[in-house]
This record gives sequence, structure tokens and C-alpha cells, in this order.
Amino acid sequence: MLKDITIGQYFPLNSVIHRLDPRVKLLYTFVFIIFIVVSNNFVSLAFCVACALAVTFISRVPLKTVIRGLRPILLVIIVTSLLQIIYVKTGVPLISFWKIKITSGGILEAVFITLRISFLIVMSTMLTYTTSPTSMTNGLDRAFSPLTKLGIDFNIVTMIMTIALRFIPTLIEEVDKIISAQKSRGADFESGNIFKRAKMLIPLFVPLLFNSSRRAYELAYAMTCRCYNGGKGKTTMNLLKYKTNDWIATFLTVVFVLGVILLNIKFGEYNAQFTFNAAV
Amino acid sequence: MSFLRTENLSYIYGEGTPFCVTALNKVNIEVEKGEIVAVIGQTGSGKSTLMQQLNGLLKPTEGRVLLDGEDIRSSKAKKLETRFRVGLCFQYPEYQLFENTVYDDIAFGPKNMGLSETEVDKRVRDAAKYVGIPDSAFATHPFDLSGGEKRRVAIAGVISMEPEILILDEPTSGLDPKGREQILSLIKNYRDRTGKTVIIVSHSMNDVAKIASKVIVMYNAKVLMTGTVDEVFEQSEKLCQIGLSVPQITEVFTKLHTMGYPVSEKVYTTEQAYRELKRVLGGGGANA
Repeated sequence: MLKDITIGQYFPLNSVIHRLDPRVKLLYTFVFIIFIVVSNNFVSLAFCVACALAVTFISRVPLKTVIRGLRPILLVIIVTSLLQIIYVKTGVPLISFWKIKITSGGILEAVFITLRISFLIVMSTMLTYTTSPTSMTNGLDRAFSPLTKLGIDFNIVTMIMTIALRFIPTLIEEVDKIISAQKSRGADFESGNIFKRAKMLIPLFVPLLFNSSRRAYELAYAMTCRCYNGGKGKTTMNLLKYKTNDWIATFLTVVFVLGVILLNIKFGEYNAQFTFNAAV
Repeated sequence: MSFLRTENLSYIYGEGTPFCVTALNKVNIEVEKGEIVAVIGQTGSGKSTLMQQLNGLLKPTEGRVLLDGEDIRSSKAKKLETRFRVGLCFQYPEYQLFENTVYDDIAFGPKNMGLSETEVDKRVRDAAKYVGIPDSAFATHPFDLSGGEKRRVAIAGVISMEPEILILDEPTSGLDPKGREQILSLIKNYRDRTGKTVIIVSHSMNDVAKIASKVIVMYNAKVLMTGTVDEVFEQSEKLCQIGLSVPQITEVFTKLHTMGYPVSEKVYTTEQAYRELKRVLGGGGANA
């Protein structure tokens, strides 16, 4: 279960996507997320999905690994889909039993939502898969550097974010270790009813919280010892510069945005009945 | 037939990702009843992974682990049974304490075994005695103890299950000399009084020479050497090559030997050193 948490993980390869400027990747991932939410019919959604798949393909991160990242939100997807299936009553009625009536509209709506949530996550994981934590902070830092002029030290924020990201794998490892240790003492995390399972979280979370705060203190002291005092006057060794590839990415993102807008206008707001009839 | 045995045991971490690492590569080891086996090797040589295989926490990529001639992963019940028969105490076990009192933490294992309350109580008291935790400390919060005490409480938490094989992963790391001594003597005590098997992973050659009856040397996910303390530490050159060493006292005697003094090089503990010096000095070797 824990091994499936891929958010915040870096997948070191040497693809075009990996080499893009982190600022570019950050901004355009954000753009993608906005536009996959904005896209309001199956055609423009399909266009978003195709673009996400293309990015995945170019990054050379195995599709299997990317899809594995969806497992933790499987429950969210299932619940939302079920709600759509139960509550959306448009389209042709298919099956009805007890008080539930399943319609074609509900099913299409469920598919729509599933695709949208899935690819939203796929793109966000692509960002961390292809950007090392160092270059991510560097990017964030530079992207928000104008704020320094307003007296806001954004470096502290990026530092907090990097530390948070950096500690996800460490904490996962820690959890794995604690689970193994408690299992060695006969703890059973996998069976029993919900109350028994909830109770089994105590041997997991007490040490985890304790160790995390210990780690946090240690890290804070270590940073203080190395004279960390926020980003004031900090210079960087690797200055970020936009390269040709970054301009190509920018161009493609503009194409993507225009594509979604045009498809949205052309096919109009998604209407279950209409789509279904058109499909038949 | 050995009590505990591995057959071509292999394990790969993160198979199919760019991070994949072979932690164990066709490892065959044999452990007899009542032995104190020490596993030594550099960091990352696969020692800890091997330990987690022995009580069935990890699923082998290849090969199997046999306890009393039976595969420990043959069924779910067998797997759970193995956890109680092979007690594994992780490195820095004090970070896994969680109960409100020392007593409850030691009782966690036996309670999971489904033992009666009187039996649990007996086991907790026995285990606490082994590790030298007085009854008066039972009501203390584990987090209020010192590092060495926490470590001993954590070890008691495994001993209280009375495992047939007790595995300790670097039980003395990060402790002061007194703490180390206490842990080592409690391990020895446990073996001597119960006749049970103990496997310890260690980086301290001194500790290994002091208590082990058999030494397994791991290198690069493989077993490089197996033998008695003498057999392994004899090959000091080979050990140095793979980043290990021999006990300090052995280094002293090797040096004396090369300097021309008529002492044996096969000295691994202070006690042996004492006897060897007495032999050399007392037996007409006063001019040496």
C-alpha cells in the first residue's frame, strides 16, 4: 500500500521532459490542471488525456509506474463514480432496482469524472517524477523571487515545501520499518474489523509522531549549525536560463490551451443525453 | 537437517524500477539450535534484509527459508507462527516503543500471541529480568527512560514472546560502553539459560569475537565466509579487503607476532589474550 504513494517521488531518467526548466514544468502543469478541469465535453477531455499521455511517453517514465500512482486515490474515484451513477438521471434508463435507477447519463458522467481526476493526478505525478527536488525548489524559488521585492521571503516557503517533499520517502520508509517491527511482535495490520484495525494504528502512529518530531528538531538544529537564516542574500550556483526546449514547451502549451478552448466552444457543454444519442 | 536454513535465497528491492537493488543473491545459510550466530558485513551487504527474510516479513524473490524443515511462507498461519518462533528485534528498536507504560510495551507481543493474562504477566516479568529492568520501572512511560534503558525494554518486548530463535539487528549500535556490555551479557545469558538460538548482526568485531559461536560474513548480497570465530578472523586480509576488520586485540597480537615475539596470532578476546600472555611469559618466555 505504502509503496504506491508516488507523489513527491523522483524518477531519474534523462528525457527532454526531465531537462526542461523547472519553472516551465511547474507553470505548465498548473495550466494543464486548470484546463483539464475547464474542459467540459468528451472531445476536449480526450484531447487533454492525449496530451498527458504524450508527455508521459516523451518522459520515458513507464506507464505502469505512472498508473500505479493512481492506486491511493482509487477509493476517491470509486466513490465519486458511484455517486454520479446513482444521482445522475439523464439519458436512457438502463437498469432500475429498488430505489436506484441507473441511466446512461450517469455512467457517462462517471467515466468523465474518473478520467478527469485520474489524469489530473497523472500530470501532477509527472511533475515530481521528472523534476528532482533540488531543481523543483530552485524553480519555485526563482518563479516567486519577484515577491522578495514586496518584502515576502518566499525562500522560507520553498524550503518548507522541499523539506516536506524530501521527507515523504523517509517517512514512508519509517512507516514500513515500524510496521515490520510491530509485525515481528505479532501485530496484525491486515485482518479484523474496522475497530480492531483502527486500534492497530496506535502502535504505528505513536512511534511515527515521536520520531518525526525528533527528526524535525534534529534537522532544525543541523540547519542552524549551517547558518540557515532564510533566503535573505542567498545566491545560487546553478542559474536557471530558458533554453530552446523551454520555448518549444511554451509553444505547445499555448497550442494545448487554445485547443481546449476551441474544442469547448465547438462541442459545447457536455450533455449526457446528447452525447449518448450521438454515440448511438 | 539444520534448524533454520535458507535455500538459494534471493531478494531484489524495487524490481522493475531504476532503483532496483539486489539485496540477497542466492544465499544459503544454516543455523543449528543453541548457537549464537553473528552476521557481519559492510553496510548494504544484505544483512538486515536477510534477517527480515528469516521471520517471513519479506517475500523472497527466489528461494525459500526453512524452519524445522518447513517453508515458513507455506501458509498464512505458518507465517504468523514463524513471527512468534523467530523473534526479530530491529535496529534502534527503541523507536518502535508506543505504549504508555514499560509493562504494556513488553506485553504487546505475548498479548498478540493470545496467551492468558497470567502467562503474559509471567513472560513480561521474565523478560524484564533478563534485560535487567526492575519491577519498579514497569509503570514508567517508555519515553522517560534513557537510551540504553529504552533499548533494553524494546529487546524485552521481543524476548517476552520466548522465540526459539532471537534475532537482533545491531543491538549495540549507538550505545555507550556500559550499555553495550549490558546488552551483550543479556544476550549470552538468554542463550545460556534457555538454550535458545540467537542470531546477531553486528559491526563490532570485538563483540562478535566475545559471544559468537559461528560467524557468517556477508559481502555484496552474498555469503562470503562461514565458520567459527577462529576460522573467520584468521583470514584478516580477506576481511580487510571487504572493509571489515578483526578484533582490536587480534591486531595487537598480530603486530607483536610480526615484531618477532613468540605469541600466537590467534587471539580474539581479552580472555584469550590474558591466557596467551600468561603462557608466553610464565612458560620460560620471560625474555620475550
